[in-house]
Amino acid sequence: MSHRLDKFSAFRQGLVIFVYLAVLTALEYFVAVTFKAVSILVVVAVIKVALVMYYYMHIYKLNEESDAEPHSYSFKTGTNRLGLWLFLLSDSFVFAGLLTARVNLLGLTRPHLNQILGLAVTAVLLSSSFFMNRGETAMVHGDKKGFIRNTIITFVLGLGFLLGVVAVEWPLAAEEGLTAGSGAAGAVFYMMTGMHAFHVFTGLILLLVVLYKTRKDKYSAEKHWGVEAAAVYWHFVDLVWIIFYPALYLIGTAL
Amino acid sequence: MKNVSPVVRGWLFFAIGFIVAYSIGIGLVFVASGSLVYSHLVTWILASFAGATAYSWGASGFSQLTKGLVWLGLGALAGFALGLVVELVVQGSLNWVAPIASLFALLFGFTGFFLGVAGNNAVSKGLISQISGTLIGAIFVTVIRVLMGLEWKGPFIFTEPAWVLGAFFGVLFFLAGNGSVSDWFKWARGIDTPEHHEEHYSGWEKYLNVSLDHKVIGVQYTITALLLISIGGLFALVFRTELAASQLQFLTTDMKLFGQNGPQLYNTFMSLHGMIMIVSILLGVAGIMNYVVPLLLGAQDMAFPRLNAFSFWLAVPAAVLLLMSLILGGFDTGWTGYPPLSAKAPLGIQMFFLGVFTAGWSSILGALNIIATVIRMRSKGMIAMRMPIFVWAAVATSIISLTATQLIGLSFQLVMFQRLFGMGFFDPAKGGNPVLFQHLFWFYSHPAVYVFVLPGLGVISELLPVFARKPLFGYRWVAMSSLGIALVGFVVWAHHMFTSGMNEYLRLPFMYSTLLVAIPTGVKFFSWVATLWKGKIVFPTPMLFVLGAIVVFLLGGLTGPPNATVSVDLHLHDTYFIVGHFHDTIFGGFVFPFFAALYYWFPKATGRRMNETLGKIHFWLMTPSFFILTFGMMRIGLLGMRRRIADYDPGLGFDATHLVLTIAGYLIGLSVLIFIYNFFNSIKNGDKAEGNVWNSRSPEWQVPSPMPMHNYDQPFEVVGEPYDYGLPGSQYVEFAAPAKSKHN
Repeated sequence: MSHRLDKFSAFRQGLVIFVYLAVLTALEYFVAVTFKAVSILVVVAVIKVALVMYYYMHIYKLNEESDAEPHSYSFKTGTNRLGLWLFLLSDSFVFAGLLTARVNLLGLTRPHLNQILGLAVTAVLLSSSFFMNRGETAMVHGDKKGFIRNTIITFVLGLGFLLGVVAVEWPLAAEEGLTAGSGAAGAVFYMMTGMHAFHVFTGLILLLVVLYKTRKDKYSAEKHWGVEAAAVYWHFVDLVWIIFYPALYLIGTAL
Repeated sequence: MKNVSPVVRGWLFFAIGFIVAYSIGIGLVFVASGSLVYSHLVTWILASFAGATAYSWGASGFSQLTKGLVWLGLGALAGFALGLVVELVVQGSLNWVAPIASLFALLFGFTGFFLGVAGNNAVSKGLISQISGTLIGAIFVTVIRVLMGLEWKGPFIFTEPAWVLGAFFGVLFFLAGNGSVSDWFKWARGIDTPEHHEEHYSGWEKYLNVSLDHKVIGVQYTITALLLISIGGLFALVFRTELAASQLQFLTTDMKLFGQNGPQLYNTFMSLHGMIMIVSILLGVAGIMNYVVPLLLGAQDMAFPRLNAFSFWLAVPAAVLLLMSLILGGFDTGWTGYPPLSAKAPLGIQMFFLGVFTAGWSSILGALNIIATVIRMRSKGMIAMRMPIFVWAAVATSIISLTATQLIGLSFQLVMFQRLFGMGFFDPAKGGNPVLFQHLFWFYSHPAVYVFVLPGLGVISELLPVFARKPLFGYRWVAMSSLGIALVGFVVWAHHMFTSGMNEYLRLPFMYSTLLVAIPTGVKFFSWVATLWKGKIVFPTPMLFVLGAIVVFLLGGLTGPPNATVSVDLHLHDTYFIVGHFHDTIFGGFVFPFFAALYYWFPKATGRRMNETLGKIHFWLMTPSFFILTFGMMRIGLLGMRRRIADYDPGLGFDATHLVLTIAGYLIGLSVLIFIYNFFNSIKNGDKAEGNVWNSRSPEWQVPSPMPMHNYDQPFEVVGEPYDYGLPGSQYVEFAAPAKSKHN
């Protein structure tokens, strides 16, 4: 991916990846409701994670040559990019720890949850990643209006996900007796979704910041590290959910 | 009085201040308790504090330090009085030992000191904000609880949820209030800031304010670490004194302080000694790395200067929270905080969790910065295999801090939530699993010891060639061994849990992985011995500490494999043998090299040398005392002395050994006091040393000390191997234009 795609090809690539991700998610759901093969779910999740990391988060940019002059924007962006990825690496250990707790405490069981709602919020978050990618691509090609339009859609979808989990899913689960204090399943469910929701919340704030700064004309096609950072962080939040969704909703038998 | 020497005048003032405050103390205790007590803790604290203030006044007049001490005293008194009033209003009765009064005294005293020393500065602003934030958060929760009709009053005025949110707000307010995040907020609002800030402060005042210069931040870290080491050491001396004889002497069940009785206070001191020392080590490590790594790389600064300042300033409210845990009821779990005990411990444990969580973030972000700096900011020609060995150690350490630290934060956070919301992670009655906590906790807390020792071992490898005047033996292997220890260190954690009821099939693999650590460590020892072999060794103070480190760490290393072996560990687990073992590793891997590094790089930072005689006294006092301490611990440990207990059976016959251990502990404390005096005195009065004091090949010594703001005036290029001492014609770095340096 050393060459830069033209705008149309970049949009098309984002769309193709989104279709892949959607199909894989549907496959996951299908596997879970029919023959409960944990290994397939793990493989599908890994493929989805790899697709997001490569095509949406552009991890290969870590390898990009930057200007050698240490005060140049390009050099600083290279350093910032490394710093962001190191942060994400660190952050992923929190989620890995929560996943460990889930496996240790619940094993091959899972909390009884509303499957349709789970699939719906997952679809919403996945679509938000698609629009985030479109927004970033627009900014790369200097299309600020396109960036603002797509980022607002991302924001609305992200807010929808957040409310879907915290304001709809949580009360529904509590109504069915799954509360924070009800047992290990409840503790794990609220902690995992809560920690993820906190990250979605911070991602939303970042989106607002880059929207505001775009309005103030602080970004250009060449200089838009803030936009890239917010986008990569947003995709990371999606990536975490790619793993948490099967861990909470699909793997094992419902309690 | 004019022609009396300042020291004599100081002691005269001391005597007056001491006697006056002593009398006042006796009076106060009489008023409070109705009986005449000549030896009371309060009296002694008052008298020694007043004495110290009077000494400072007599010796140096009404200087900034005197002013700071006076303000400290006034702040503490005001805080104490306010606390008593609050207690009277809320609880309806006057309680002289109300923890809230002690808490206010502590916080107001601290704030007063920094206000008195330098007026408005980042520390005092931060502390004032932290106090306000804590109160705002606590009152917020309390109001909500009142509105919801819940109980709003707790044993420490507020309820536990109120204190937790308050403490969390306190940290946020500290950072917002002292200005370490203001640039980021400006960026978010679309306001550009200059890449480098101009230094507004000169002299020592810049260390009390937010600075982006890695050298200033390194010193800030180091001083904070020394402060915390002193506090942690003081705690150790308190419980060491209690242990000097069997039975309870002064930490008795009748005494009451900070809402705890004597044995509870023992537990709190013992637990806090552990964690405060760990945090101080993390800060010490960060201090040396911050100061040295950019200089060794030839960088102008760290990769992210603002993040660097932010990481440091996170550590200050964290330290305050740890001290708050002492006063707010303490806790009795040891530094490990295992549930189910920690799920039932007093309120102090929540402050402890939050403090560790905050300090953990400081460590994570600092590590991120180090890795990014090493990857991105090396000077020309500095390929990986020509980096100074300390940089390799810093990278290896940072890999652990960056990733694993999240797990201790998470494990503590889960216990916090279990206490606050009844989430049953570690509660078997709710289907939870206490052993899960231990896995999460040790996944960081074992590699953490490599975070402590790897930089120290790096310092040894860095300094040894300088003083042996020979190339470092096996550079590549030493570099790789740091990474090897770090990576193997990730898969050994469960050796702490051989007795805790985890799955038995895990014992064997963890035993073997632990034994594997000996191999890369052995590589280092082999390199050190081979480097010394036939070297032209010189023995200035830093070299003494390097050699001491090697011997002490060898002792710690050799006592490790027995603990790793399952069958032996079942016997040794939770005995003083373990205590002796880990004090060996930490002293050999951190404390000795840390002192070596301070003596070695002190001239770089100040342009002056520390006093050699005092340095040698420090070394020759500390080393034998330490050997006595650790051998004694291991001996009674083998005989069955349990760790973490306030009292022991006189029938065991350990009284004599414990007395010797206590004396040895005090001698170590004395040697550190000598060091601290030497350190601060030499900043002003040390011999001038602006050149290449140690005849080092390292780039930072090729330019005059102290370094200017953005380090090297001229960039340098690496043209040779770093440690080719004694090879004629060899060169490590070449400066672009003739550097303005005086080569010795």
